[in-house]
Amino acid sequence: MRVNGGERVLVGEGERVEQSLELFKLRRGELGTADPFTCSRAFLLELSINKTIKTAIMATGPLRFRTPHIEELPTAQSRQSAGFAWVPVSGAQDDPAKNWGTTNRKRQRQSTGGQTDQQKEAVSARQQREVERRIKDLNSDNSKETVEIPKKPGQQPSGGAFKIGKTTGTKKIMSSGKGLQHHLEDEQAEIDRTGRREGEVDAPAPNAQRASKTPLHRRKPREDSSASNSPAPAVSSMPPPAIPRGMSMDTAAELVQLDDSDEDGENQLPGLPSAAEMEALLNAAPLTYAQARAASPPPGLPPPRRFCETCGYWGRARCLKCGAMTCSVVCKDEHDQSKCLKMYA
Amino acid sequence: MAKPKNVPASTLSTGDLASRTLILDNGAHTIKAGYSSHLDNHAPNHQDCTIIPNCIARSTRDKRTYIGPELTTCLDYGELAYRRPVEKGYVVNWEGEKAIWERSFSSEEGGLGCEPAETNLILTEQPNAPVTLQRWTDEMVFEEFGFGAYYRTIGASLNAWAPSPFPSTADSVSGLPVECLLVVDAGYSHTTITPLYHGRPLHSAIRRLDVGGKVLTNRLKDCISRTFDVHREDHIVSEIKEDVCYVSPSPSAFAADLERTWKGGRYDARELDTTVVVDYVLPDYEHIKRGYHRPHDAKIKGGRVLRVDEETGRREHVVTVGNERFTVPELLFTPSDIGMSQPGLCGVILQSIHSLPEGLRQVFLANIIVVGGSGLLPGFVERLDAELRGAVDEDLVVRVARAEDPLKNSWLGGARMAQDEGNLRQRLVTRAEWMEHGEGWVRRRFAGKIGR
Repeated sequence: MRVNGGERVLVGEGERVEQSLELFKLRRGELGTADPFTCSRAFLLELSINKTIKTAIMATGPLRFRTPHIEELPTAQSRQSAGFAWVPVSGAQDDPAKNWGTTNRKRQRQSTGGQTDQQKEAVSARQQREVERRIKDLNSDNSKETVEIPKKPGQQPSGGAFKIGKTTGTKKIMSSGKGLQHHLEDEQAEIDRTGRREGEVDAPAPNAQRASKTPLHRRKPREDSSASNSPAPAVSSMPPPAIPRGMSMDTAAELVQLDDSDEDGENQLPGLPSAAEMEALLNAAPLTYAQARAASPPPGLPPPRRFCETCGYWGRARCLKCGAMTCSVVCKDEHDQSKCLKMYA
Repeated sequence: MAKPKNVPASTLSTGDLASRTLILDNGAHTIKAGYSSHLDNHAPNHQDCTIIPNCIARSTRDKRTYIGPELTTCLDYGELAYRRPVEKGYVVNWEGEKAIWERSFSSEEGGLGCEPAETNLILTEQPNAPVTLQRWTDEMVFEEFGFGAYYRTIGASLNAWAPSPFPSTADSVSGLPVECLLVVDAGYSHTTITPLYHGRPLHSAIRRLDVGGKVLTNRLKDCISRTFDVHREDHIVSEIKEDVCYVSPSPSAFAADLERTWKGGRYDARELDTTVVVDYVLPDYEHIKRGYHRPHDAKIKGGRVLRVDEETGRREHVVTVGNERFTVPELLFTPSDIGMSQPGLCGVILQSIHSLPEGLRQVFLANIIVVGGSGLLPGFVERLDAELRGAVDEDLVVRVARAEDPLKNSWLGGARMAQDEGNLRQRLVTRAEWMEHGEGWVRRRFAGKIGR
């Protein structure tokens, strides 16, 4: 801090005003020392800090000395800056309570301190159920059990017995009312209870875990276990013949390096598995119905495409009330009039 | 057909085979049936196979019930109520299936004239069947119908004996299977990928995509019902799908097609491209027996109309079919469009191939054959080919071909296989053996575990 003859006080940028005043008082000898205080560095004073000093000076009561004239000296480092700075704030609003009265459901979710995991899961479970219901509708057969099988008139004396079946076994089969779902569930129960289905000589160990009840969207990809429910994952499972086959591929690769001839194409291919491995592959037990279903695609893909519900073009806007997508104002009007859930729900 | 109450003992002694074989490709939508004999030299061809609808249908207009082959005699397909005994490819309701089979075997009009006791049977089923259903099938065939000898197999494996559609493969001798084949069976209930080695399936690599002809037809019903309610018209919408739907050659072509069929926003009305948008005239079974389509007439607004046709002066229902033509079959390649969590057909094939050891991958990629009704959609094979090529390494060869007749190909393979007596003796199980060894043994035989 340096004071020139004109009672100029230059306060260091960033220095606290109180400190500067103390030093000033020091310089003025009010605190007991008489050394003139010279500073080796050039100090700057912002215009706004000027004001702050003045207010600080005024706040501390009337001064017993003449008010110093504080003036900014421009140096190379001086710049006019705005006196405020953009600081990144995490989270869109600091105060979630600001959204207390909105009808916007998205903001409402923010206002209650964010959704709990449970609530998020409920939302996505609802969507999941909706999607599954629609898929089940698509798979419906339109088959009505009320279609009666007509009896052939007068073909044989005992028409009733003919229809039902000749032996007790066939009678039971034909009168069974089970659908495919029943059979699949029965089979799954059988597998969970014991080893594999009957007739399989080499049954794998019974599955100690329960069938997974985690909702689909939270399932982590499971490693393949032989009696598990999950569809056989794509790449991570190599059948047991792979291990001896690996050796054969190494020997084949060695052979490739050994006779390093000019034909590239044929020799670079991995060798076909040996006959024993093919036999093992062919004799492998068939998968269950659920295991043979193609597994979900890897999660890194773009989200599914949405289409307009009225005309089938790309869906561009979502209806706030029912969540259906439409492509344009025309289609949205059509949707509001007849198909929006607020009409029916 | 009169049947005595007791099943007659087979007139053949244990060493003999019946003179002819009935090959029954039992599907969820239709049965493909026909004879083949190992005693004569007649090479089976497509004419020998009859396609029988595998359903019992009741028409509310006629008040008649049509079983199986009788459906072709029906005059009015409107609002038919169906009952399908085969669910997802497995026979679940034997009561209905028995009625259909009996009607098909009878010597009446449309039937095959089959005497089960004097015929061998080759029956197809879908892979990964529940064991109970397999047991039921065996029991019904032997006990109820009384076939002398029978072989049950996965439908896809019969394709190995059919003539190969690849131009570079030499014609296989009838009776010998192709060495490696990857069968993509795009059927009614679902689409199954089955790798075959010498005609035997590699079970650990069989994968299934739950989108089939039924899902496509139902989705088309939903789309058309935005303007004209067709939810009950299964047969008519099926015909519309077969006539009018096609597969876009690539995702970018799909986007371009979608642009062309958009009518525009409020301030941005666009012309519909009449090469893509068509008008479909619905059959009314009085004058128009079968629907047909024609390019879109811009005077028809709103998608559906009951109008007077200019030339004939008669009234007709016209429905405009626009982007449904290609968005519906797109489901096979992008099931996530309706929210299914499965990859498209290309992804499923890759899953199947990746579960095989590395040395086999190239072989199977180079021998992909498409069978099944949905394989008839124009552009299906080209799209599949392009997607697979884009997804695998450049130095791998990819060959995809559609079978010459995708509906009858499995049947043809079975017929050619049955020409060879050695094949028959190796595979058929006679009724005597079934009585002696029991059903567990028979099942293991069909799975290939016990040799002869």
